Amino acid sequence: MTKHLIGLGVLLAVGMAYPAIFPNNLTIAVSVLLFAGWATSWDLLGGWNGQVSLGHASFVGLGAYFVAIGQSQFGLAPWWTMAMATAVAAVLAYFWGWLTFRLRGPYFSLSTIAVAEILRLVAINEEWLSGGATGVFIATLPEPFGIDLFSRTAQFYMALAFATVVISTVIVISRARFGYQLRAVREDEDSAMAAGIDPTATKLKAFMLSAALTSIGGGIYGIVLAFIEPHVIFALLLSVQIALTAIIGGRGTIWGPAVGAIVLIGAGEMFRTTFAEANMLIYGILILVVVLFVPRGIVGELARRHIRRLYAKRAQG
Amino acid sequence: MPNVLRADGITVKFGGVTAVNNVSLSLSSGEILGLIGPNGAGKTTLFNAVTGFAPMHSGRITLLDKDITALPAFKRTRLGFGRTFQTERPFEELTVLENVLVAAFLTAKRRSEAERLAMSVLEQVGLADRAHQPALDLNLARRRRLELAKALAVKPKVIFLDEIMAGLNPPALREMIAFVRSLSAQGLAVLMVEHIMEAIIELSDHVIVLASGEKIAEGTPQQVTSNERVIEAYLGTD
Repeated sequence: MTKHLIGLGVLLAVGMAYPAIFPNNLTIAVSVLLFAGWATSWDLLGGWNGQVSLGHASFVGLGAYFVAIGQSQFGLAPWWTMAMATAVAAVLAYFWGWLTFRLRGPYFSLSTIAVAEILRLVAINEEWLSGGATGVFIATLPEPFGIDLFSRTAQFYMALAFATVVISTVIVISRARFGYQLRAVREDEDSAMAAGIDPTATKLKAFMLSAALTSIGGGIYGIVLAFIEPHVIFALLLSVQIALTAIIGGRGTIWGPAVGAIVLIGAGEMFRTTFAEANMLIYGILILVVVLFVPRGIVGELARRHIRRLYAKRAQG
Repeated sequence: MPNVLRADGITVKFGGVTAVNNVSLSLSSGEILGLIGPNGAGKTTLFNAVTGFAPMHSGRITLLDKDITALPAFKRTRLGFGRTFQTERPFEELTVLENVLVAAFLTAKRRSEAERLAMSVLEQVGLADRAHQPALDLNLARRRRLELAKALAVKPKVIFLDEIMAGLNPPALREMIAFVRSLSAQGLAVLMVEHIMEAIIELSDHVIVLASGEKIAEGTPQQVTSNERVIEAYLGTD
C-alpha cells in the first residue's frame, strides 16, 4: 500500500515539474498520460476482472464527441459534457454487458468490437448532430479561472489529473471487497458463486466503472484534438492499442498499464520519428516479446518474482 | 430437532437422461448426512442441484423454512450454504489468505474485519502459516483444507463437502475425519458426498444411497451397509 502511495507521489511530482523541464515534449506526454489512464481503466475490466474488451474506443469517442458537440452546437462547457458522457458511457456499458455477459469465453470480447463500429456508423450518418464523416471542430472553449484550455500545458495537467484519478481508484479498489470480487470472478466463476458473489453483477459494475473512467479521458482527448473524426476516434486500432498497453504493461496490476503506456507510446513515438511507418513493426515485435517471454506483462512478471522471492525467504527463515 | 435444510422430490434431467430421480433429503443442525453410491449414481449431480450449481427439472428446496428453489447459487450462499468442489478450485493467482478473504468479505464489510475472520478460519483448518503463499503452490491435502476454509469463511449453516477425503493419506484422512466431526459439534449441518466408507461409517448420523439416480436405501451406516440392494449396487449380481 505504501509503495503505491509513493508511486502516486512520484507520478505527481514528476508530472508537476515536467512542463517546465520539457516544454517542447508536451504532446507525447499528453498521449502517454491519456493512454495510461485509458489502459488502467480498461484493466479494471480486462485485467482485474478478466473480461477483455476490444471496444474501449467507444468510450473514448463518446467522451470526445460529447465535449465537441456540446461546445460547438450547444455552447456547453466541457465539464458538463464530460459528466454527461460518463453517465452515458456507464449506461451503454450496462446495456452491452447485460446482453453479452451471460456468454462465456471469447464472445464478450468479440461483441465489444461491434460497439465501436455501431457508434462510428451512427457518427457518420447522423450528420445534423455529429458533422458526419467530416467530423466536428471545437472552435472556442471557456476559460475557467483564465486558463486557456487550448494550451498544451493546460491539457497536460488535465491528462495528468485523469491518469492520477484512475490509478488512485484502482489502488483503492485493489484493497477493497470489490477488488477481491473482481479477481474471484476472473479466476473461477463457480468458485466465486460459492463465496456468495454474483458474477454477472460484478462484471457489470466493472464494465460500467471502466467505461465511465475511459470517457473522462475521451473528453480530454477531444479538447486535445479539437477536431474529431469518426473513423479516427472509433477506430478498432485505438481499442486494440488500449488493450495492448495494459497487456504489455501487466494485466491486473496497479502500475502495469501505466508502464505499458510509457513503453508503447514512448517507444512508438521515438521510433515513429526515426523510422516513420516502422512503428507498427515495433508494436509487433513488442507484442511477440511479451507473449513469448513475459506473458504476465512487464509489471506482472516483476511482481510475481518479487512475491516468490519474499515467500522463499520466509520459508527458509 | 428442526430441519435446517429440506429437499423434496429432486429430479435432474440432462436431455433425455434422468440423472437424479425424485430424491428427497433433510438435515438438521449438527447432523451429518452421508451421500454414497457407485460412480455415476448421481451424487454430485444431486449435490449440485441442491446447492444451485446444476439446473433442476423438478423439486423443492427449503432452508430454514424459506423456499430457495428458484434462487441462484450465490444467493443460496448468502442465506447459509457453504460448499467445496470435488476438484479443488482455488483462485490460483491469489494467496491463501486472499482466497479466504474473498469468502470472508461476504459477511465482513471492512477489510480488517474480513482479515480477522479469514485468519481465524485458516487457523481452524491449520493453514495459518501458509497464509501468504500463492494458492497455486499448495499440495493436495492443503488445497483440500483451503477449499474447506473458503466454505467455512462464508459462515454457513449447512456445509456441503464433495469428496474431501479422496486421495488423502491415512494420517491426513484421520485429521479430516476429526475436523468434520468438530464442524457438526459446532452445530453445522453437514452433507457429504464420499467414497471413503471408513469416513462415512464413522461420521454419518444418516446415510442415503444412490444408484442410477434413484435412492435405493437410507438409514444409519450399519443399516445401509448390511442392506442387500446396496451390496448388489456396489458389487453387482451373479
